[in-house]
Amino acid sequence: MVASDPYGTLVRFGRALRAEGLPVGPDRVAELGRAAALLEPDELYWAGRTTVVSRPEQIPVYDAVFGRFFGPPVPMPGPPLVLRIRAEVEEDVGLASRIELLREKSFSRCTREELLELAELMSRIDLVVPRRRTRRREPARSGAPDLRRTLRRSFRTGGDPLERAWRRRRRRPRRLILLLDVSGSMDAYSRALVLFAHAALRSDRRFEAFCFGTRLTRVTRQLEGPNPDDALRRAAAEVLDWDGGTRIGECLERFLDEYGHGGLARGAVVVICSDGLDVGDPELLGEAIARLSRLAHRVVWLNPLKEDPAYAPLARGMQAALPHVDLFASGHNLASLEAVGKALAR
Amino acid sequence: MPFGSATEVEEALRRESYLPDRGLATAVYLALAMRRPLLLEGEAGVGKTEVGKTLARILGAELVRLQCYEGIDAAQALYEWDYARQLLYARALQAGEVSVDERVAELYGPDFLVERPVLHALRAGSAAVLLVDELDRADDEFEAFLLEVLSDFTVTVPELGTIAADEPPVVVITSNRTRELHDALKRRCLYHWIEFPDVEREAEIIRLRVPGVEAELARSVAETVARLRALDLVKRPGAAEAIDWAAALSLVGAPAAAGEAARETLGAAVKNREDQARVEAAWAEVVD
Repeated sequence: MVASDPYGTLVRFGRALRAEGLPVGPDRVAELGRAAALLEPDELYWAGRTTVVSRPEQIPVYDAVFGRFFGPPVPMPGPPLVLRIRAEVEEDVGLASRIELLREKSFSRCTREELLELAELMSRIDLVVPRRRTRRREPARSGAPDLRRTLRRSFRTGGDPLERAWRRRRRRPRRLILLLDVSGSMDAYSRALVLFAHAALRSDRRFEAFCFGTRLTRVTRQLEGPNPDDALRRAAAEVLDWDGGTRIGECLERFLDEYGHGGLARGAVVVICSDGLDVGDPELLGEAIARLSRLAHRVVWLNPLKEDPAYAPLARGMQAALPHVDLFASGHNLASLEAVGKALAR
Repeated sequence: MPFGSATEVEEALRRESYLPDRGLATAVYLALAMRRPLLLEGEAGVGKTEVGKTLARILGAELVRLQCYEGIDAAQALYEWDYARQLLYARALQAGEVSVDERVAELYGPDFLVERPVLHALRAGSAAVLLVDELDRADDEFEAFLLEVLSDFTVTVPELGTIAADEPPVVVITSNRTRELHDALKRRCLYHWIEFPDVEREAEIIRLRVPGVEAELARSVAETVARLRALDLVKRPGAAEAIDWAAALSLVGAPAAAGEAARETLGAAVKNREDQARVEAAWAEVVD
């Protein structure tokens, strides 16, 4: 318990929290010590909750470690599943035409090495997202008068505002949100799409990515960093339902409730990558997409099944969703993603 | 520091009609004692902003509120020069209408400085509570700027010099968590996640906030709202909605949140068409 060596106990407690993934550095432990000294011994729980916890997802972890150290244990969350990447052997192709072939090759037939090669090409896709006006203003050649700069310039002409300056509302690219289906039926495409998300996220820090199957996971943070392979691994460790079933409708509802209505999806460009094979209620999916299309600037649906020219969106979920989708494309290979990138700008 | 323990903070908040749970009272106490900004997160309507307002009343301090929005920048948070007046003054200087001892340097003197919330709070020091509301709406750059201010509570205006707070103001930051705030900022702050109140506390909140409400009605509204939150709603009703609904039911003279009266006043608690349809579908289990 705390009594014998209070500081040592807190340091060990901090170390245990760090081992469970909480960002608890020495500064935080010092804060915890200060907070604990200000409170009654039985309030130690709250001393830690306010100093070493900084988001709600960390609370269960904190509770569990706290229980181990100071009180009755709390059940631990299940262990994360590990992503398996299939490595298939395929014959070599001449290097010259290789990239051209790769551009047209369906992701479903790419090896792991090819996928990583594609990741490099994906980072060159020019993602031009439509722009929106913000409240901030910037200098311009015409527009509203800019008093600040006019005043500055008037000093040059002895206080007479001869040279006038103008400003206008700044325009910023809209936010791009990627919602990736990583369920079993998307198995052949999901890794490529996560790599695409990784490349897209690197072009603007405000972009967001989510994975879904039976549950929704925000992977924006996991996809940070320059190396696509590492990013893929981090994302896989975070997504617990990889290669499982699909409940698109429910996941979209989740997304809208937890993030979308808070402002994330408002005015954004939302790209859903899914085959639309939903085991959930198709009505729910239709309703969710309708809600999404009212919030977002534009909804894009990438369905790799569309690769097959004979494909018709017969799945009931897909049918319910389509009336609310602004752009429906396949996204099954690099060439298609490039085309989507261009179409987004319009 | 006017408080000696978390319990005293809890009592003071209660006297001002804000009913905190134990965790919130402790977080507020620690923030005051350790002189740290308090970062409050939670769903809309759990009373994050109210904490700042109530705290200002308790401390007898001025409430300085900075509402964040996308595109907010330092000029709107810190200070701006009054350009139109500067321009007029410059003209007056030139026309000789201003005497020589009123020097040109005054053009960038305090007279022409328009104080915005953060600068105002710094100048007021411990006599102010700075409420930075919905920080998640602001951009990253603004968050970085705020971090700089909160690190040492000083601000440099190139033309005037450095303005430092003798005693830092109490700072309360709220976020609805539409995006994750930066870790660097979080490290500067004490953190508390505000949950929806339990039925007991919610009934008490309603009784405090709705004058003349029957205890039974307050309890019935609190229970019903708790069941509404368990439904899969787009916008779960917060304490503010519970208060509004209780007030509406009280006005029409309903004894409980049930029957026709509840249906007619539901708009006070559930403010989304899809949600209303969902509540309607589950009416028998949830309301009646």
